[in-house]
Amino acid sequence: MRLLSLALFLAGIANPAGVTLKIAPESVHLRGAGASQQFLLLAVDADGVERDVTAEAEWSLSSGKLASVQEAGRISAIADGTARVVATFAGASASATLRVEDAGKDPPFHFAHEISGILTKQGCNGAACHGGVKGRGGLKLSANGLYPQDDYEWITKGGTFQVLTSEVKGDRVPRVNLEEPEKSLLLTKPAMIEPHGGGKRFDKDSADYQAILAWIRAGAPYGSEEAAQRPEIVRLEAYPSLAVMPLNGKHRLLVTAHFSDGTAADYTHKVLFASNSRDIATVTADGVVTGKMLGETAILIRAAGHVASAAVGVIGPPVRNYPEVPRWNLVDEPVFSKLRRFQLVPSDVSDDYEFLRRVCLDLTGTLPPPERVRQFAASTDPHKREKVVDALLASPEFVDYWTFRFSDIFRVAIFANGLTPKWSQKYWEWIRENVETNRPYNEVARERLSAQGYGAASRHFLPYNQIGPPQDVMAEEVRVFMGRRMDCAQCHNHPYENWSQDQFWGMAAFFSRLFKVGPVVIDHPVNMDWSSKDVDGKIELVHPRTKAIVQPAVLDSASLDLRADANPRAALADWVVGHPYFAEAAVNRIWGYFFGRGIVDPVDDFRSTNPPTHPDLLAALAEDFRAKGHDLRHLMKTIVLSRTYQLSNRPNETNRVDRVNYARSMPRALDAEVLLDAVAAVTGVPEVFATAVTDGSAVGQAPRGTRAINLKDPDMYYSRFLELYGRPNRGAIPERDTKPNLGQALHMLAGSGYVERLGAKDSRLAHLLARGAADRAIFEEFYYAALGRPAEEAELQGLEQALAARQDREAGLREFVWALISSREFAENH
Amino acid sequence: MKLFRFVAGATVLASLLASEPPSVPPSPASMHPFAGMRGEPFEVVIRGTDLGAVRSAFSEESRLRLTVGAIEPEPPNEANAKSKKPFELLRLRVESPSGLEPGQYDIRLVSPHGVSNALPLHIMEFPVLAEPAGSHDSEETAVRVESAPALYAGRIERRGEVDFYEVQAKQGQTLTFQVLSGLPAPGSPGGNARGFDPAVTIFEPSGSWFDPGHMRRVAFSDEPLWVIGRATDTHLVHTFAKDGRYLVRVEAFSGQGSPDYSYQFRILPGEAPAPASHNPDWQERSYTRPLSANRLNELAERGGIKPDKKSIETYRASADGPEFRLPGTLLGTIAEPGEMQRARFQIDTPQDIAIEVETPADDPPLFNPVVRLLNASGEEVASNLMAGRGACSGALNKSLQAKTVVPLRDTGEYTVEIRDATSDLAGPGFQYKVQVRPQVPHVGDVGITADRLNLKPGGAETVRVNFDREEDYRGAVAVLVEGLPPGVQALAGADFEPDKDPPMHAGKRERYTPRRERSVVVFTASDDARPTPEPHLARIVVRPVAGGKPGPVIASKTIPVMVVGHP
Repeated sequence: MRLLSLALFLAGIANPAGVTLKIAPESVHLRGAGASQQFLLLAVDADGVERDVTAEAEWSLSSGKLASVQEAGRISAIADGTARVVATFAGASASATLRVEDAGKDPPFHFAHEISGILTKQGCNGAACHGGVKGRGGLKLSANGLYPQDDYEWITKGGTFQVLTSEVKGDRVPRVNLEEPEKSLLLTKPAMIEPHGGGKRFDKDSADYQAILAWIRAGAPYGSEEAAQRPEIVRLEAYPSLAVMPLNGKHRLLVTAHFSDGTAADYTHKVLFASNSRDIATVTADGVVTGKMLGETAILIRAAGHVASAAVGVIGPPVRNYPEVPRWNLVDEPVFSKLRRFQLVPSDVSDDYEFLRRVCLDLTGTLPPPERVRQFAASTDPHKREKVVDALLASPEFVDYWTFRFSDIFRVAIFANGLTPKWSQKYWEWIRENVETNRPYNEVARERLSAQGYGAASRHFLPYNQIGPPQDVMAEEVRVFMGRRMDCAQCHNHPYENWSQDQFWGMAAFFSRLFKVGPVVIDHPVNMDWSSKDVDGKIELVHPRTKAIVQPAVLDSASLDLRADANPRAALADWVVGHPYFAEAAVNRIWGYFFGRGIVDPVDDFRSTNPPTHPDLLAALAEDFRAKGHDLRHLMKTIVLSRTYQLSNRPNETNRVDRVNYARSMPRALDAEVLLDAVAAVTGVPEVFATAVTDGSAVGQAPRGTRAINLKDPDMYYSRFLELYGRPNRGAIPERDTKPNLGQALHMLAGSGYVERLGAKDSRLAHLLARGAADRAIFEEFYYAALGRPAEEAELQGLEQALAARQDREAGLREFVWALISSREFAENH
Repeated sequence: MKLFRFVAGATVLASLLASEPPSVPPSPASMHPFAGMRGEPFEVVIRGTDLGAVRSAFSEESRLRLTVGAIEPEPPNEANAKSKKPFELLRLRVESPSGLEPGQYDIRLVSPHGVSNALPLHIMEFPVLAEPAGSHDSEETAVRVESAPALYAGRIERRGEVDFYEVQAKQGQTLTFQVLSGLPAPGSPGGNARGFDPAVTIFEPSGSWFDPGHMRRVAFSDEPLWVIGRATDTHLVHTFAKDGRYLVRVEAFSGQGSPDYSYQFRILPGEAPAPASHNPDWQERSYTRPLSANRLNELAERGGIKPDKKSIETYRASADGPEFRLPGTLLGTIAEPGEMQRARFQIDTPQDIAIEVETPADDPPLFNPVVRLLNASGEEVASNLMAGRGACSGALNKSLQAKTVVPLRDTGEYTVEIRDATSDLAGPGFQYKVQVRPQVPHVGDVGITADRLNLKPGGAETVRVNFDREEDYRGAVAVLVEGLPPGVQALAGADFEPDKDPPMHAGKRERYTPRRERSVVVFTASDDARPTPEPHLARIVVRPVAGGKPGPVIASKTIPVMVVGHP
């Protein structure tokens, strides 16, 4: 069957009948001498499968005087005027308009554009080389040329960069030699005339070598004032944003730079391409990607000061007669469109049993009881899924579960909230009230970010009953509410991202006036002493490198209008919740709970080098979230009522290996607390949670029947089970480890979480036995309770045979219950 | 040699077996119930150690008739399993006249070995219902409350135990639920390390999609505001959204439990006020002390000076900063976030002034008034924020003070500025009263450490009397003791006080803290002092001495004193 598919695929390539051509870009405006444009020609077959045929096509111009065709699809300006660019492939053609302007006019030189551009393209200022934290070989460059003025200083004046101070270390030996330009280190090293740890980057006769040489001969200027007025790049754009190719297929990427004056130019040949996974795809210096292994990865594109990315999918054989997949809501279109491009057919919609168990666990962390499973399966109401979702969203178990979830993210813990359970429990109550009343998430975030006084939300700022260092507080808030990790920029400019150390400390400065007066959290006014002089004290944040006093500035470096005696965090909070990052981070985090991975994954690690798998989906969810008033329940309802969410976990031939495109439901291990509650629910024996302090009467115990997700201060309650199954420490932002381990296996065999429950007097099994239930009825009841489905006939027969072989019926049934709750099907949501 | 060893060992063993239990006073831990109705006799059980020799019970309120009944060893339980001393249960019959004022009365136990610590007994004006026997840990076993008001005496005997009460409520009906601990929790007034901090949760037994027996949480209260030094008792006012049956769960904070965890559960109609705690002692630096117009005379009396000062005028501070004259009291409310109110005054000669702050409604940590004193150039001369640097890290720390003394050496105009420490919080409860006045030397807070004295003939006990010299009070302080039993004397003494390491950087601490001194009274019983079968109430009295004359009594404390056993 696979061979047949492959044969059909090859036939499709060989026979271009029915193919339509798509040229990109369709309209080009070249400005200045030497301007060029790389074109891309895609052939789209009848099934909508695209193929890059740029290299195979014939390229021509309606006016040869205007421009020249240099190589496959690359056109260079010669003279001003307009023309059509025509690409011909397999008897069909496509064309684009070309306009050339100022073909005889060289743009004014500027170091940032010309020299930094070369250094970026050649990888000199990458994180692994001179763009690293301390630079390399005594030369420090800013990552991706983010700070060209600094780079110019290091190159033309020399000296060694120091991380902790702005002072220059060592003798200052320039990397350019104005007397003998060819002997400049900036040339001799990358050309390997002198030994160079980074190897040979270009030849002496290369355009880049010659450009640098010409610059040094001209006196190594930074650039005229006129040049300084040149528009700056504001963003890079890759086309296509998602490229799909078969195994060993090739696909070219185009890169367009957008400038501050609204113009754009082709940068395909001026950027550095790199693949996030060379196992899946490789990329050449001019942006041609080759598929190496089935899968998906990102191609990172760097130009001076900017990073962009394009997703690349290496797909299997095309699916003939790809089915029409209905879209149920805004989630489905971006998911199913991508699946179609990747030639992955989504699995069927889950059956009622699968759906009900999944949605109950995802919305409430609770297994559906057997009676509800039977009722739901028997119902013929066409709207029963929507109705049950509404019931779950309105249930008290929903409030319990999402209070637990947000208590994790918001770190409700004694040590994290002032060293007293009184404060951490008040903080928990605040979270619970917000969940119960479905308070808009932007309001919740705003209150937590800016909380002053003695209220519950302010307790978050008192780890160990002290105000935390501003840099730590800021990094956590940005990670929680904006999904970004800025920590690397604390000590130096971020080596992989565009976050600078100045940006980091500018953001941290919003928290630098956080102060504790008694138990009250305040923001110390800038313009008032408040007895500081009595002890020679100052409330200010000093930049660790420059030693300058840092003023609050948001990530785009803008200063907000802050009153000297006002709460700076209130202004920051307004900025945060209004920023596109906020809604993106929120929907991505919630999405991650329902699918086991975020659209950006990890959910709080948005960065250019970790692009979203479904940017359109992320944007659509974020837009809807904002439009609906940051309503978390609405967001969850949208997710669970999508067809994407309701797909079965049973794979088909096309989607078996895919794990990131939501072609089917992926099994996810239950979180420790949910699993323990599930074990308690199935066995009918609640867990006993005792406080870990063992000092006589000071020892407490949660009321009987308290669920693990309902513990206000989980760190007070020691639980071997919860530790083994990955309950996180809320001392830092919790990261759960749900991977199986040997300890879990031993606990299943001999631990109290499993074994002691089986023989308990009040257990579900004991009640069934007391009622005189037959074996088959007992099996079925436990299947419903644990797995949310009826036992299949073959399973029942196997169980009956196994039980018949046992002399002790009750012991045999206990073993059956143990086997059921030890099974992977039970321990996962699928 | 072996024989010698045997004889010596046997002698030691015999002497151990023959020895009497140690002669220590009774040590009651708790009383259950700790409330009863006036005019109605009732019985309480006191749990504690060394109760075996108790012969009587004692209260300063002579109209209470207390009769000691049976004393039994406590059956083994999880609370006494690790105890080094055996716990005993003492039954006490309480009778009170119907005219006795409702309130709290201290009860002590008396044995030949001395008088015990006090346990509070609440005399109520309405019946106290006992929590019925058995467990009430579920909807099915909940105690049914027939009507409000009602008061139940219950107990959380074991860890993890909860007591459910069932109430019927109408839509829109408001009820107040109070749970008072019989053994105050650590950090609360009279707090005990083993104390009990109650909490209540209201549930609606409406079921859920998952569980028809699920109880939906409607309201929860631990205490109105948790602050160290305030009561941790529960006070929950709830208005019910619909008619129905509700369950109210009483439990101990964090699931603790003990036979000492006795509580009163009060269900009151409407919005009842929270039980107020009253501290009759002088409080120099409390935000809630009343700063009256007669403040100068009150202070003068505590300095032993004739109270002949004029009343202090009252002014309104505002954003415009109106003028006022010293001494003056500024009134105002920080009604809007970030609001600052001011008032100006003039001095023509250098003065030592005091700035005191009272918060008549919301007090710290809800309303945290920052009061600054600015000179004519707008520079901060002083504030009520005491700054210091931590001993370990040198970190800057600040705390708000209710009183600041400032020496003003420059004449001219000054501005008093008042705001909240936060820039975001304000409200009608953010009311302040700031008194700016000349300093008046006086004795501030006085602390007397003794609770009771059990003296053996020929023995001695030391009682420390701490007092604060405020505003450069340089006079003497007299400490007198009245009402001692025969053979007992109170003598002035001295005591060793170890040096303390000075703080790394104390700042201008003298502006915010008084000079604290300690005096010692040594109580001695003569060798031939006769044991007292009942406690004598001795009164320790403190008076300032100025101009060679003792002033009025500014602090006193009554303590029971007994002469017990033999030296």
